[in-house]
Amino acid sequence: MRRMTLTAVAVALALGATACGSGSDSGSGGATGGTLTLAPLVQAQPWDLADAGLGNNTQYYQPVYDSLFRISPTAEVKPNLATKWSYDATNTKLTVTLRTGVKFTDGTALDAAAVKANLLHTKDGTNEAAGQLKGISGVDVTDASTFTINLSAPDPSLLANLGNVAGMIASPKAITAGTLKSGPVGSGPYTLDKSATTTGSTYTFVRNPGYWNKAAFPYDKIVLKPLTDPTAVLNALRSGQINGAVLTNAKNVAPAKSSGLTITKYTSGDVEGLYIWDRAGKQVKALGDVRVRQALNYAFDRETIVKTAKGGLGQATTQIFNPAGSAFEKSLDSKYTYDPAKAKQLLAEAGYANGFSVTMPDFSAVFPDQQAAMTQQLADIGVKVKLDKVPTDQVLTKLLAGKYPMSYMVLASFRPWDTIQLQVAKASLWNPLHTDDPKLEALIGKAQAATGAAQDSLFKEINTYLVDQAWNAPWDSVQNNYATSKNVTFTPQQFAAVPPIYNFKPAG
Amino acid sequence: MIVFVARRVAAGLALVVVIATTTFALMGLTGSDPARQIVGQTATKEQVAAKSAELGLDQPMVERYWHWLTDAVQGNLGTSWFSGESVTDSLANRLPVTLSIVLAALLLSAVLSTLLGVAAAVRRGALDQLVQLLAVVGFAVPSFLVALVLAVVIGVDLGWLPATGYIPLADSASGWLKSITLPALSLAVGAIAATAQQVRGSMVDVLRADYVRTLRARGISERSLLFRHALRNAAPAALTVLALQFIGLVGGAVVVEKVFGLNGIGSQATSAGSQGDTPVVMGVVVVMVAIVVVVNIALDVAYGWLNPKVRVG
Repeated sequence: MRRMTLTAVAVALALGATACGSGSDSGSGGATGGTLTLAPLVQAQPWDLADAGLGNNTQYYQPVYDSLFRISPTAEVKPNLATKWSYDATNTKLTVTLRTGVKFTDGTALDAAAVKANLLHTKDGTNEAAGQLKGISGVDVTDASTFTINLSAPDPSLLANLGNVAGMIASPKAITAGTLKSGPVGSGPYTLDKSATTTGSTYTFVRNPGYWNKAAFPYDKIVLKPLTDPTAVLNALRSGQINGAVLTNAKNVAPAKSSGLTITKYTSGDVEGLYIWDRAGKQVKALGDVRVRQALNYAFDRETIVKTAKGGLGQATTQIFNPAGSAFEKSLDSKYTYDPAKAKQLLAEAGYANGFSVTMPDFSAVFPDQQAAMTQQLADIGVKVKLDKVPTDQVLTKLLAGKYPMSYMVLASFRPWDTIQLQVAKASLWNPLHTDDPKLEALIGKAQAATGAAQDSLFKEINTYLVDQAWNAPWDSVQNNYATSKNVTFTPQQFAAVPPIYNFKPAG
Repeated sequence: MIVFVARRVAAGLALVVVIATTTFALMGLTGSDPARQIVGQTATKEQVAAKSAELGLDQPMVERYWHWLTDAVQGNLGTSWFSGESVTDSLANRLPVTLSIVLAALLLSAVLSTLLGVAAAVRRGALDQLVQLLAVVGFAVPSFLVALVLAVVIGVDLGWLPATGYIPLADSASGWLKSITLPALSLAVGAIAATAQQVRGSMVDVLRADYVRTLRARGISERSLLFRHALRNAAPAALTVLALQFIGLVGGAVVVEKVFGLNGIGSQATSAGSQGDTPVVMGVVVVMVAIVVVVNIALDVAYGWLNPKVRVG
């Protein structure tokens, strides 16, 4: 009997394959309504916004939490929960008028007091969203629909950040009760359907019947299935189990296209290349000479690197600023065309005719092709690279501690002010050896206080100065491929790692 | 028998403690910086320091271990530093995924390897050679390659089964069976090959034994001879291989889970290990060691059932 049972189960397992039919639970986004199924590249972070991350994490928060502002695909700040806003003359007081009549799904009113509680709660957190609110010194509530955010210094990125996770609003009742750990309570277009959610593998969001702007969200249901493996992503797309995902491996583009999927290339918001940290020549004297840094820029055949090491996923550039931002200046991209002879000449003029040696962290485990291209092209002009073997999870810490004079790196580059704050200012995190350039600091100070066209002009001036001084030797603005099924269309979002859920619509 | 099992359980508990202590020490010595990884490359040093303090990483390692151990013995394995999810809940979500594919693969291995091994030993000749050839091929082909081929051919091209994802048994029995079939098959191929060879070899030896000749001479039916006498004596060696296969299958599940996009304990262990998510790594290690201990005890009991002589001591 036992024998028969075992055999029956084994046969059922083996034959079940052919008997059970298709396993596809594909999103059915062919018309308004239906389901949109996306596969984020990362696992969900905590629902409490004080612990929220940015980038690829944002798609988890967008269904359940509404934000103060809405960011258009071209990065314009539009009304959302906030209907009107204005800065004072010093750009340190932002007065905001809120939409009235909005409620959280627990029945609590979304008013100015709720916004104040959220901003201060998120600011007190320790994750990425919290980091964008550190400049807030206080929030004054004028009445139920009006409040003022006080800043310790002008923050040109604040409005944009309040249109993202940092400006999302959770129920103050849930914040106080500490219940956000077990699930989100917001006022967003959807609510988390816990009965159809398995943490780590499937997150199902169904419509919030009380949402004020239902028309902006055509799908009745959003399903997020985190998939980290590129092959699993491709198979899920091809078999119709998901409607959209980033293709991280360029080799998967051709099979995706042949399966009828639509591929959209967009700027990811990262800039990669050789980042020079020791611009003062404290560790490697040669790097303190601008001619040497310019020589490093002439050493790289950027177009070939993008083509061969990146599978075409990049836009060759000499600038650390995002091509969609106001700091970007197209003409600067032709300043350092590939010219190894000129690079050698500059090295010789600087007194390094035989090149020099430099130690860099070994990135071969994660960026083997990029590293191979970099070391070869540096060797071609006489720069000998010694690779320091360091565990991948320790590289960031060592780089930030200023252990290396230069390295291969991929750094986020969204809005101009974000980039300046992240890597240009003397105190910037990614200026680990704190290069101090009084002229640059003066330009940054002016840009912070300016607005509009004057500010854009100053951003361009800063960018031009950095390229002239060869602060870094970037190769390309990184691009991603986003694959979608035929029944879905989407609009890429400037300055976003992944498109927001409100940029997706049923095809036709 | 009870004393025997009690001794094995005590030894197993000691093993869990030793491995847990070693793992915690190794996690502390890796020099990884989970706080930096959590807050991202744009966070300031102050944010990293605040996150480190929140995680308790500013405390001495011995103190952190003591906190973890005292909580763990009370059933509290802590929360993931990255997702904020309770480790116990997280294991409860993921363990069924891994156990489903591993146990299904083990079941397939046991049944198919027995059938193939016995057939090869009894028939010999061309069938024997074919089984041995298949076993060598099955053993040589890595499970990830089998998984990739199955996912693309059966999951994507033919659309017979899901190419990715897992459906819990509680949600749908047929959905669960469909979602685990390809991963289980991918895992089982190597195990079937190894165990079939073992069953074949043991059966060939047993079938040459004097008592088998005697039984045949007494006119016992061939079916009874094979399955009541010969296979029972050949089974311990096969059981040993199967038990070892179980541990190997859990390891192999890491790759198979990635290919099929399954959120099992294997993929959780690799991501938590690379991130330095100590509470999750500790939870996974404790549970997996406990499972291995239980499997080994079950194997010892099975040996005793098959051969009463080994029950002593």
